[in-house]
Amino acid sequence: MALMLEELFEKVQKPARYTGGELNSITKDKEKVSVRFAFCFPDLYEVGMSHLGMKILYGATNAVEDFWCERVFAPDTDMETLLRENNLPLFALESRDPLRCFDFIGFTLQYEMCYTTILNMLDLAGLPLHAAERGDDMPLVIAGGPCASNPEPLADFFDIFILGEGEEVNLELMSLYREHKKKGYNKAAFLREAAQIEGIYVPSLYEVTYNEDGTLAAVTPKEDAPATIRKRIIRDLDTAYYPDSFVVPFIDIVHDRAMSEIFRGCIRGCRFCQAGFLYRPVREKSVDTIDRQSRCLCETSGYEEFSLSSLSTSDYTHLEELLTRLLSWAEDKHTNISLPSLRVDGFSEELANRLNVLRRSGLTFAPEAGTQRLRDAINKNLSETEILDTARKAFAGGWTSVKLYFMMGLPTETPDDVVGIAELGQKIVNCYYHNPDKPKGKAVSVSVSVSCFVPKPFTPFQWEPQDSIEQLREKQKLLRDSVTTRKISLSWHDAETSYLEAVLARGDRRLGAVLESAFRHGFNLDAWSEHFDFEKWIEVFKEVGLDPDFYACRRREKDEILPWEHIDIGVTKEFLWAENQKAHQSVTTPNCRQECSHCGASCFKGGVCRERR
Amino acid sequence: MNDVKDFRTVRITFSKKGRARFISHLDLNRTMTRAVRRANLPIWYTEGFNRHPYLTFAAPLSLGYEGEQETMDLRLEQDMEMSELVTRLDAVMPEGLHIKHAAWAVCKAGDVDRAVYRLQLNGCQPEAVTELFAQSQVLEEKRNKKKEWKTIDIKPVLDTANAQITPTETGTQLELTLPCNSTDTVNPALVTEALRQLPNMAEFSVSVCRLAVLDKNGNRFA
Repeated sequence: MALMLEELFEKVQKPARYTGGELNSITKDKEKVSVRFAFCFPDLYEVGMSHLGMKILYGATNAVEDFWCERVFAPDTDMETLLRENNLPLFALESRDPLRCFDFIGFTLQYEMCYTTILNMLDLAGLPLHAAERGDDMPLVIAGGPCASNPEPLADFFDIFILGEGEEVNLELMSLYREHKKKGYNKAAFLREAAQIEGIYVPSLYEVTYNEDGTLAAVTPKEDAPATIRKRIIRDLDTAYYPDSFVVPFIDIVHDRAMSEIFRGCIRGCRFCQAGFLYRPVREKSVDTIDRQSRCLCETSGYEEFSLSSLSTSDYTHLEELLTRLLSWAEDKHTNISLPSLRVDGFSEELANRLNVLRRSGLTFAPEAGTQRLRDAINKNLSETEILDTARKAFAGGWTSVKLYFMMGLPTETPDDVVGIAELGQKIVNCYYHNPDKPKGKAVSVSVSVSCFVPKPFTPFQWEPQDSIEQLREKQKLLRDSVTTRKISLSWHDAETSYLEAVLARGDRRLGAVLESAFRHGFNLDAWSEHFDFEKWIEVFKEVGLDPDFYACRRREKDEILPWEHIDIGVTKEFLWAENQKAHQSVTTPNCRQECSHCGASCFKGGVCRERR
Repeated sequence: MNDVKDFRTVRITFSKKGRARFISHLDLNRTMTRAVRRANLPIWYTEGFNRHPYLTFAAPLSLGYEGEQETMDLRLEQDMEMSELVTRLDAVMPEGLHIKHAAWAVCKAGDVDRAVYRLQLNGCQPEAVTELFAQSQVLEEKRNKKKEWKTIDIKPVLDTANAQITPTETGTQLELTLPCNSTDTVNPALVTEALRQLPNMAEFSVSVCRLAVLDKNGNRFA
C-alpha cells in the first residue's frame, strides 16, 4: 500500500524538516499566481535554512503579488528512501506540490560538493537530468550563487545560470517568462530572449570546442547570445530589498538567528579567496538601514540573537557607532548580537565586554599561512605582532585558549612555511607562559586547524596547480613532526574532498558526464563525510575516461582559454594575472580603501570605487 | 533563583494540531520562547549568562500527536489582563498552534496524573479492539527511565482506562485515559502496539489526539 506524504512524516527523523508551516512562511492562492518558483537548496534543511541569500530571494520574489516562491531542501536518506518506495515526487514545503508543477526550479550553488545532490533532487522530482530533454511542458531549471561563476560542469543540466546578485535579475527573468506565458510559451524562444538580459547565461547557446591536449579551443555564442556575460550587482544596498521577516524554523538549524547584512564584497583581496573577487566592489549599508532592518527582523521573528553578516565584519567603516546603536535596544530586549569574521584587535574593552565577544567565540585568528613571507604572497595582512599582542591581552584577561586557522598547499609554499605554522603556535604558547598574570594552575590550549588550499576561478591563483594528495599528506606529516608540545592540538580537513572540490571548481563541460555517472552510482550528499567515498569517485573518472589531475594539479598557461573565460565578474584577467605575479614575488597589494588597484570592478560604478579616499 | 517566587505563574492552555503536531517537545519550547518574545509580554527572564524566558511544560506531548488542551507555564514580571495576554500571544502563533486560555496557575506541575487520548484507528475494526480489552493479560515491551527494556502487563491500565470504542467509517475511534505521572506513564503507542500483535491483524494507521490532562481527582489540570 502506497503511503501518503503525511504518513511519511510519522516515520522519519525530524519531520519538521518536511512539514512546512513555519512562522512567516508564505502561502498564496494558486489561482492568482502567474509564475511559480521552487527555490532549491541542495543540502539538508538545517543547512539550507541557515542561508541568508535564500531568505533574501524568497522575500524579494514573494513581494511581487503574482509570483510565488517556495522552498525545497534535499531530503535526508530516510525520507528519500520512503519517497522512492512510495513513488512520491520531491515536493515544495509551502504547497506540498511536486516540483514538476512549477515554472522555475532554482538551485543555489554554494559549494561544489553539492552537485550530485542537485542531480538526485532533479531525479526525485521525476525530471530528466539533461536540459535538452526537458520540453516546453516542464519547469525551467536554473541556478545562481558563487559556484555559478564557473558553472561549466553543470552546463548540461541547467537551462539558465544567473551570474552575480539575484535580487533584481531573478524578477526580470520571471517577468519575461510571464509575458511569454501570456502569448504562448516556447522554451527555445524564451531562452533566446532571456539570454539578452544582463547577468543571464544560457549555456545551450554556447558551443565549446577543445584542443587535442584537452584545453579549450573556443567558446562560441549562437543565436545572438552575447560573447561575454557580465554578472549583476545591487548598486545601492540602502535602497535594495531586504526581508522584513525570516521564516522561523521549528527544528534547530545551523545558524538559528536573525541576520543583518552589513556590506557586500571585501576590501582585502586575499589572493586565495574567491568571494573577495566575486563580490566586488565593496558596498556598505548605512548604520540607519542596518539598525532599522535588524530591529524589524528581531520583532517579527522573536529571535533572541542576530548576527551581522559580511565577509569581514571589522572592515565596516562605522563599526563602533553601529554596535553602540544596536546595543541601545538589544540589551533591553535580551537580544544578543553575534559578530562572525571579527578581528578582536582594535576593539575598545568596554564594547568588547558588552558584546561578550570573547566569551562567545573564543579568541580566533585566521593567519592562513605560517610565515610572513607566505602571508605576503597570499596578501593576507595579518602580522605576527598583531596576533601575539592580541593573544597577550586576552591571556592577561584570563583567557587560556586560542584557535588558529591555516591553509596548506598554498602556491609558493615551502617546508619552512609549513614548519612556520607550528612555530607560530609555539610562540603563542610561550607568550602565555611569559605572561606574569597568567591564571594559576591552568594550561594554555592552542588549537590549529589546517585546511587544504583549493585554487578557484576568478582568483589570482586560478592558474595554479593544487598540491597532489601525496604532497599534502607529506606536509601534514611534516607539520605533525614539527609540533613538539601537547599544548598545541592539530586538526585538518581531508585532502580527498579538497582535491575533488578543485576538480569541479575549475572544471569544464566534459565533467557533466562524470557528475551524471556519479549520480547513477548513487552518490548524494557528498558534502557530508559519511556519504563521501573518494575511491568510488576515482572509479567514475576512469569509467568516463577523464583524468582528474588535469583539472586539479595542472598549471595553466597565461594565455590558456579558461572554461569560465566568457563570464565577466568585472575584475579583469589582466589584474588577476598581475596579482599572481606579485604573489610569486611575495609583494602585497593595498586594500581598496587605501588605494585603488584598478581591478576592473569600477565598471559597476558603485560602492568603494565611488568613495573618496 | 530566589526571586522566582515573586512572580506568579500563568498557565496557558493551547491546542497543537495539523502540521504543528510534528513539532517535537524540545522544539516547542524554542517556538514558544520566540512567540512570547514576539508578543512582547512582560515575561520574567532567567538570570545568568544565557538569559531566556522561563517556560515550563507540565506534560510533554509525543512527536506526531495532536493536543486539544496542552499547557505551558510562564512567569510575568508585571500584571496584565489574561484576556489581553491570550489575544497578543495567539496573534503571533505559527500555523497549528492556538492559544485558548490563560489563568493564574492553580495546580502544581507535579499534580498531573493522567491524560485522555482519542485514537483514530484507520483500517482497524472495533471487534479487534474489543478483543484486546477482553484478554486476561497484555504483555508489552517498555523502556524504563534507565533506558532498559522491560516487559510489562498493561492489562490493569486497560481495565481502568475507561475505554470507549466507537465504530467509524474508516475503522475505530478509541478514547481512553492513561496514567501520565511521576510513577507511571503509559503512552497510547503501547496500546496500538498490542493491537498490532493480535493474531490476523491487518495493517492500520493511527492518529492520536490528547484531549485533556487531568489531576488525581479527575479534574482538568489547571
